[in-house]
Amino acid sequence: MKNRKLITALAGLGVVALAMTGCAAGGGDAGGGDAGGGEASGDKPYIAIVSKGFQHQFWQAVKQGAEEAAEEFDVEITFEGPDTEADVDQQIQMLQTALDKGPDAIGFAALDSQAAGPLLQQAKDSNIPVIAFDSGVDSDIPVTTASTDNKAAAAEAAKQMAELIGHAGKVALVVHDQTSVTGVDRRDGFVEYMEENEPDIEIVDTQYGGGDQAKSADLAKAIIAANPDLKGLYGSNEGSAIGVVQAVKELDLAGKLTVVGFDSGKAQIDAINEGLMAGAITQNPVGIGYETVKAAVAAINGDKVEKTIDTGFFWYDKSNIDSEEIKAVIYE
Amino acid sequence: MSMDEREPLLTIVGASKSFPGVKALQDVGLDVRHGEVLALVGENGAGKSTLMKLLSGIYTPDAGEFFLGGERLEITSPRQAQELGISIIHQEFNLAGDLTVAQNIFIGREPRRAGIFLSDRELNARAQQLFDRLGLALDPRQRVGELTVARQQMVEIAKALSFNAKVLIMDEPTAALNDLEVATLFDLIRRFTTPDTGVIYISHRMDELKVISDRITVLRDGRYIDTLDTDSTDMREVISLMVGREITGEARPQVTDAGTDVVLSVSGLSTKGVLSDVSFELCRGEILGFAGLMGAGRTEVARAIVGADPKSAGTIELAGKPVRIDSPAVAAKLGIGYLSEDRKAYGVLLERDVKENIVLSSLPEFTAALGFMKPAAIEAKASELVTALSIKTPSTSQLVKNLSGGNQQKVVIAKWLVKDCDVLIFDEPTRGIDVGAKDEIYALLNALAAQGKAIIMISSELPEVLRMSHRIAVMCEGRLTAILDNADATQENIMDYATRFSAEGTVMA
Amino acid sequence: MTTTPTASDTASTETGRPGGLVGRLRGQLQQLLAFASLIIIVAFFAFASPHFFTTSNITSILVAATVTGILALGTTFVIITGGIDLSIGTGMILCGVMAGVFLTFWGWPLWAGVLGAILFGGLIGFVNGFNVAILKIPPFIATLATMLIAAGLALVISGTKPIYFKETPDFQAIMNLSIIPGMRFPLGVAIFILMMIIAAVLLSRTIFGRYTYSIGSNEAATALSGVNVNKWKIIIYTVSGLFVGVAGVLAASRLSSAQPTGGLGLELEAIAAVVIGGTSLSGGKGSIVGTVIGALIMAVLTNGLRIMSIPQEWQSVAVGTVILIAVYLDMLRRRGR
Repeated sequence: MKNRKLITALAGLGVVALAMTGCAAGGGDAGGGDAGGGEASGDKPYIAIVSKGFQHQFWQAVKQGAEEAAEEFDVEITFEGPDTEADVDQQIQMLQTALDKGPDAIGFAALDSQAAGPLLQQAKDSNIPVIAFDSGVDSDIPVTTASTDNKAAAAEAAKQMAELIGHAGKVALVVHDQTSVTGVDRRDGFVEYMEENEPDIEIVDTQYGGGDQAKSADLAKAIIAANPDLKGLYGSNEGSAIGVVQAVKELDLAGKLTVVGFDSGKAQIDAINEGLMAGAITQNPVGIGYETVKAAVAAINGDKVEKTIDTGFFWYDKSNIDSEEIKAVIYE
Repeated sequence: MSMDEREPLLTIVGASKSFPGVKALQDVGLDVRHGEVLALVGENGAGKSTLMKLLSGIYTPDAGEFFLGGERLEITSPRQAQELGISIIHQEFNLAGDLTVAQNIFIGREPRRAGIFLSDRELNARAQQLFDRLGLALDPRQRVGELTVARQQMVEIAKALSFNAKVLIMDEPTAALNDLEVATLFDLIRRFTTPDTGVIYISHRMDELKVISDRITVLRDGRYIDTLDTDSTDMREVISLMVGREITGEARPQVTDAGTDVVLSVSGLSTKGVLSDVSFELCRGEILGFAGLMGAGRTEVARAIVGADPKSAGTIELAGKPVRIDSPAVAAKLGIGYLSEDRKAYGVLLERDVKENIVLSSLPEFTAALGFMKPAAIEAKASELVTALSIKTPSTSQLVKNLSGGNQQKVVIAKWLVKDCDVLIFDEPTRGIDVGAKDEIYALLNALAAQGKAIIMISSELPEVLRMSHRIAVMCEGRLTAILDNADATQENIMDYATRFSAEGTVMA
Repeated sequence: MTTTPTASDTASTETGRPGGLVGRLRGQLQQLLAFASLIIIVAFFAFASPHFFTTSNITSILVAATVTGILALGTTFVIITGGIDLSIGTGMILCGVMAGVFLTFWGWPLWAGVLGAILFGGLIGFVNGFNVAILKIPPFIATLATMLIAAGLALVISGTKPIYFKETPDFQAIMNLSIIPGMRFPLGVAIFILMMIIAAVLLSRTIFGRYTYSIGSNEAATALSGVNVNKWKIIIYTVSGLFVGVAGVLAASRLSSAQPTGGLGLELEAIAAVVIGGTSLSGGKGSIVGTVIGALIMAVLTNGLRIMSIPQEWQSVAVGTVILIAVYLDMLRRRGR
């Protein structure tokens, strides 16, 4: 199946190339034209899922959950996402292409809800139900949103941090970005918890590293340099958290600085096992994928779906990292 | 031409301009009379360009006053100078190749409709009016990039005159023109000089001044030297005023007997669309001149020989052995050096220093293990050549862009001497070089030939070809139309062969 | 480019021509000025924050500058020829992934895997050089294409997952090993300094450097002088690629893992460093000292603004403004003879 798609894609590219060089002038119909329609008219319902990323471990786990559900409910899915979470244009292109294929439902995690607005309207006009997932879509078009309650999860991270540093001292945040819903929620959830519950904890700085490990490490080091008495650092996603760990490693501050992370991945798991990181919040990416497809199937069948589906989160640290419950939701 | 008795059209009084370390102009004054062509001459660096840049508003003077028709001028920018009636045609044109002739002429002052819409029709009509007035056969709609250099120049002139110029300044206008084109240009200049206008004509070519100018003003080292009436002046006197010394005159070549030992043999050389079936032999100790009109294919012969352009047919033998030359790198390795007509584009590295330029072709010889250069050896070699060719430079570390044209040319020659080439191809070796330096280049060429180098000299100046060459190859439309012995050659028969356009009009096979 | 004044230089002041000894001094002044601006920026931050000018933070700045700096060093050669290389950022990522492939997937010994990754960088450079010199594809387009190809291949080869150096735990030491006891001065920074010296020697003392300048100064004249310009362009891009390989190894070593994503944008940071250092994008002019200063200015600015807790949005504005000012001042200095 995969191969066939690849071949179709390459053949399509060939046609484009031929057309560009002018060789196709006067030729017959291009073969790629009906490929899209074919998928929609198949026996199985077809759900197109456009995520915020693809290559990252997290999205691969979401994809895994989606595929499990697809098998269970006997539907066909495609899963794709842009190269980086900054590629809003690319994601819009993908959503456009997905719509053009005439799916029975669409799963979508918006990088930029505004930018996706017109296409979502188009989906609504074509009566294609939209299931938002992960950071969701800032719009009332989606039938439901299957996501982690990031604010609650970040508040949990803040609560754990407060306990670990004895409810007093300076902490700082390294966040992956200041515009996406997850970035904002995971920052605000943490900050608001501290403000409301921990009068003796001072948040001295919040910086954004785009989720890039090296960049996050460099800025964490700058924060530490500027605040020698810093007690704790919070990294809001995998790249940010590993960057913070890297900073602690490079400055030989293991044990002196409390690091709380988010999401999982081998480096974070290693850091927890080595004691460089106190613990982290994990979402349930497999669950996100699963619930998205499940909700889509329900929507296709006309069943009622809740407006939000909380896919849950977990705090994990050295004590429970090897438990079955955690092992099922973290990824290497 | 009869001279007007009114006060001068343009007067310059006490103009001075300094740059850090250089007094480019000191207290220079001159006047242009109504209806005359005033030639402005001087060696490179004499201050001609600076003076022109003051007049056209590119520089502001340190001191000095300008009067046009008795009124004092305050020139602040090139645009304003144009509006006051002073237009300048630079050696390098300011034309946009992708725009049409008419668009270029009216650039920045396009006729508009409703403030924003352009009307090309009106534009073309206006341009046509202008051409009719000037008697120019130009098509307003043609793209400038498609025109020959001569026609581009006409566009420049038409553009200048469209400002209703009172004074037209031309800087070396014939540098890139052939004789026929020069004649057309002179026609145009004569038509422009009415009793209300005047021309300042800058040139190195003495023979032209005799024809076109009424008076000649000489500058030297940033100072005013003298102004002479052209009719009553011997050009040698002008030259000696320019250089400050007597110049030995237009001697025919002291033709030493060239060897008969063939070094380079070219047969059936052709390139796609340009050259067809060019064959000749070049001997040791010989200077073979290449004459012809612009576009006759002389430069292309040189480029094809050294592999800068691909050949479509033909063989080249060096000392009797056939060789395959695909690139200038191969040519250099075989001992064939090419000195381009366009020094700045193809000859020197302007932003690099003298010694770097001199050793560029033979750098591997000055390189030790691991690619490390030997600075001492490079310096020694460069100094040796600077002395040998008397290149005027304060040191071998001087950037080449700071040298005069003649000295830049010597740097290029030095580069090929270090490489120890047997065959040297000089393309317009004295273009843009002042009179004194020309003599030095000539002496150098003769010395090289006497040493046994085989030399090809491409030149558009017939006196130069006649003076320097043992034999003269004449080209027309990519074909070799004659090879003349110097004794048999005259300007007239060279021009005859240079204009042997093929009757059938089938040049390219 | 580096010349020692000789006796004949003194004569130049007498002839009054511009560009002699005076010009030379002015040339050195240029680099001094670039250096001075770095010092001023450092002084400003040192004054603004007590935490800035500490050995620990200076080391952090050097670490942060290492990868981009090495990319900038290599790409200086390409830019001096008048070319541009957009593939260095993602090319570096691909080199890191290849280190992972060699060491973790194929089990090569450490030295071989590292060498392999560096040579792979050379291969990317060779491809760029071939496309530019032989196929005559404009450098911008040719390297834009390899930029995308490298980004894609890094994902394909790694299976979109980071590769961890399980088999060769010492791999992380290449960047992180502390070489001065009691000071966290990592080996990677020492390698950065070594690469500066190599680059500076290459550019100023070897035939390679000389031809780099010649080609950038006037490619046509250099070719007509009998220099095999195509061959040397390929060599120049390949050498630049080797620097990319070294940067890729260091970046992967720092994180003990080859991350298949990222790298995009690093090429622009490196090019900015080169340009701040006074190297002209139109070719022919530039120096390694300048590039080093440029890279340090970028790193110091980023670090200093963070230490001062300037909001991130404004950090970009500040860095962009500095690039504009630096390049404009440099142009003024060049123009105002």
